[in-house]
Amino acid sequence: MSGLRVAVPKGAIFEDALEALGRAGLPVEVLRDNGRRLLYRGEVTEFIMSRPSDVPVFVEYGAADVGIVGKDVLEEQRPNVMELRDLGTGACRMILAAPEERAEEIRRAISHAEVVRVATKFPNTARRYFETLGRQAEIIELHGSVELAPLVGLAECIVDLSATGTTLRENHLVVLDEISYSTARLIANRGAYRLRHQEIAALLDAMQEPLRG
Amino acid sequence: MHGFREVVTPALEYSEVVEEPKLRDTAFKLFDQDNQTLLLRPEMTTPIARLVAQRLRNSPPPHKLSYSLPVYRRAGVGRGQSAEFHQAGVEVVGSTSPAEDAGTIALLVDTLENLGLEAPRDFVVVLGQTAFYEGYLRRTAPEAAPELLAALAAKDLVSVDEISSNLPDEAAAGVRGIPRLVGQATDGSVLERAGRYAVGDEAGAALENLREILAHLDAHGRLGAVMLDLGLIGRRNYYTGAVYEVYAAGLGFTLASGGRYDNLLRRFGEPLPATGFAISLERLISVLPDQEPAPLLVLVGASVEATRAAERLRSSGVPVLHLAEDSPPESAVEYARSVDAGWVCYPAPDGLKLAPAEPGGEFELIPCEAVAGRVLP
Repeated sequence: MSGLRVAVPKGAIFEDALEALGRAGLPVEVLRDNGRRLLYRGEVTEFIMSRPSDVPVFVEYGAADVGIVGKDVLEEQRPNVMELRDLGTGACRMILAAPEERAEEIRRAISHAEVVRVATKFPNTARRYFETLGRQAEIIELHGSVELAPLVGLAECIVDLSATGTTLRENHLVVLDEISYSTARLIANRGAYRLRHQEIAALLDAMQEPLRG
Repeated sequence: MHGFREVVTPALEYSEVVEEPKLRDTAFKLFDQDNQTLLLRPEMTTPIARLVAQRLRNSPPPHKLSYSLPVYRRAGVGRGQSAEFHQAGVEVVGSTSPAEDAGTIALLVDTLENLGLEAPRDFVVVLGQTAFYEGYLRRTAPEAAPELLAALAAKDLVSVDEISSNLPDEAAAGVRGIPRLVGQATDGSVLERAGRYAVGDEAGAALENLREILAHLDAHGRLGAVMLDLGLIGRRNYYTGAVYEVYAAGLGFTLASGGRYDNLLRRFGEPLPATGFAISLERLISVLPDQEPAPLLVLVGASVEATRAAERLRSSGVPVLHLAEDSPPESAVEYARSVDAGWVCYPAPDGLKLAPAEPGGEFELIPCEAVAGRVLP
């Protein structure tokens, strides 16, 4: 139905993204068959498979016309793209968490404006959060397993995504504050949104509003 | 063809001249001997506004000015991006006429088409009207207006929808609907649908202004290059009326942008309305079609005869690069190819020895007068 190039995120929101695109009539089955290919050239639609945090980059530069990505990534990167639709799926929370036994101590430290050390994959989000609190924090950027940081004394608390809370519980971390709530979004390149408006508008129409429970 | 006068402004401006925080942050700063902060200009419109307010206040408006100059912004460290960009643009200061908005858009389209781009195949001008949405909000949802305008300026239609869900139905319809009015300017249905939301004087006047701009663009014969997008409002608190961006096929970023900014000159004590655009020349070059190199001939020889021959050829209209060394043919051909010259020649007693700049090209003795006929297309 369209000649668009679509950036699809691997990982947690992959299945939801596929379902949304499939509902819109795009031939997404090819993506399920082989998990290793990065580029699928269909008859009309092309798919790019990328890390979620790279989806906005492909879209902002016009290497993909549209893409699906979590609001958490958009908040972190603030890319110059059109944010067109909330798909309602892939819900998760950006949280501030600390080890159970030190939770109160750290809460007090933050409220007394002491500088705490925060490990996170989302340094901009963490910095902005502490700025809105009027507090300072030393931000330590990690690329994975952030939960480890407070367990070994690298940081006192973490800013991270949590979908179910299981990982937090397993590592004896408790939520101190909820920073934001995130769902998957359909984004478009600014130029593609105009130059290929008919195709993108058709895609938007075809992606019906998801059922909300 | 349009009577614009070219201006050059200093690269350094006092930091007070540029007011937008984002632009100020990206500008290179330095200090003069009195510790006043200076900026390397991060854009051209404000320096021209200052120039008009200070230097042209006694001449009658409108001032139609053009420029083609570098601007400077700090790019991400190590990202391989230049900190110097070239912008070419025009500003019309001192007229509120929609014909001036249309005129600058037509000039922009002309400029791009003269360079070999064709609308709407290669590029489109996306046109919006900031005052339409603002006017609608001021009338129907004044409390939510700042938040909605911030969301739309950030191109976040999801937040616009979220905010609108807390508004009464009749207000929400336009809050959600106006940013989604997108379509070809030649297709009247976009304006027709917009008419439903033209409540109140302000939104009504804005829509009428847009209609007039389109009528003038039609008279220019440029309507086919234009697409309407009433969700386009540009930078926050900057544009006051028409606002437009040019997108080219295969380029993810804006090629040019512009619009009406009637409040900027007030800051310099001259409340003059203004409209204009800037083209990013680096991006423009990246989308221009490959061009045949201009004809050029490399004339080889250190002698006075060679210099005389070069002059004779130039006066017959042949562009000549004089390589004033006695190079052998192979290296002369290699040099000619490196500078995109199509021909190599040596002075000879009865004319010139001429060969195409190809490896193994045959030299041929021809009279000086015959060279132009051979080399020029």
